[in-house]
Amino acid sequence: MANSNSPKALQTLLAGLWKENPVLALLLGMCPTLAVTADVKSALTMGLSTSFVLLCSNIVVSLMRNLLKPHLRILMFTLTIATFVTIADLYLKAFLPAMSDKLGPYIPLIIVNCIIICRAEACASKNGLFISIIDAIGMGLGFTVTLCMLGAIREILATGAVFGKQVLPVISENWYLTGGMPNGFIPMFAFALPVGAFVTLGLILGLVNMINKKTA
Amino acid sequence: MQHKTNPIILFIKESWLLLVSAFIFGLLLAGINAAWSPKVAINKENKIQDAIVALIPATANSQVAIDNQPIQLGDKDTAKISIYKALDKNNKLVGFAFTASGAGYADKIDLMIAVDPSFKKFLGYKVIFSNETAGFGSKIKEPFYRDQYIGAPAKKLTLKKVGNAKKIDDEIIAISGATISSTAVIDIFNKYVDKVKDLMTQKGLLK
Repeated sequence: MANSNSPKALQTLLAGLWKENPVLALLLGMCPTLAVTADVKSALTMGLSTSFVLLCSNIVVSLMRNLLKPHLRILMFTLTIATFVTIADLYLKAFLPAMSDKLGPYIPLIIVNCIIICRAEACASKNGLFISIIDAIGMGLGFTVTLCMLGAIREILATGAVFGKQVLPVISENWYLTGGMPNGFIPMFAFALPVGAFVTLGLILGLVNMINKKTA
Repeated sequence: MQHKTNPIILFIKESWLLLVSAFIFGLLLAGINAAWSPKVAINKENKIQDAIVALIPATANSQVAIDNQPIQLGDKDTAKISIYKALDKNNKLVGFAFTASGAGYADKIDLMIAVDPSFKKFLGYKVIFSNETAGFGSKIKEPFYRDQYIGAPAKKLTLKKVGNAKKIDDEIIAISGATISSTAVIDIFNKYVDKVKDLMTQKGLLK
């Protein structure tokens, strides 16, 4: 059984990372992508929380796929997703309170993240448990990696740090008084703002399209 | 002639999965909430305790003096306030701290404000929650701005764009590039100071 599923499973896993990457190819989940990628820590927390919800909802939806009534399926998906989002939210409040405060309403808003409902509808409600789990892992990884990549670029450009650790020495405040050349990295705070999110995402999407065109 | 199905049976037939799932998910959430809510409550208490200790370092113990009391801040503006007594290791009162909040640039700003035992001077503030712009409004958490409140008279304060930030008086110098966030903090102080003083006098906390 697992053997016959293996090529499809690998294809499904890899699709989530590149060909059907939720952010770079399907352009899903744009709200958290733009809102919580000002630093890597927030991006990673959001990515992992979404992946947890995606995995759990795919498992539940796949298990009940034969019992779903067509007119009630969206309601069932929402109920399932809302349950696991509440668990993720409670977990963060209990064990990562500072991050929970920082992400604020964006964790509860995972309920309306279209990646999760899209995978429930397109994959989990039509496939067995194994493929649904692989799909969730692939999509979750694709989403998390993309968010972290955006977070890293924005955090470095805005503050010269990654994961809160300074990697580029920031220019001293009154360097121009010495009359010499800049003595360090000049932080571009705009990258910590929404405008930075749009610019970074736009440039990455352009780059991905360019690569896809060249390799097509 | 077609047989008419009982509507209750039809309802159960159509929605049993939804009802059963809602019941199971509800139980799951109730269980998880029961297990983790004490930890969430401890986190909240620790956050308040840490804020009080950061503002009044002599604090060995803090007590709730007024809990979640509604106060009228303006014509249509009401808020709930908690006031804490800060006691040193000899159980001597070393100050009070109270929660205050108002609108910031991006989101609300929640502060913990500390005053001395006689409510004559502010002992500073700590940002409990804010979502101000990183690198600009977020500077309300930094010493340049915060330190101006330590020792400032516990009365209405005014915001100035330029001046000596090291001079401690009722004039607070704004953060350059973040006037809205600077104004938001000072507005919170001004909105609460008299009302809290009145409430504390009313409750016998101030002599």
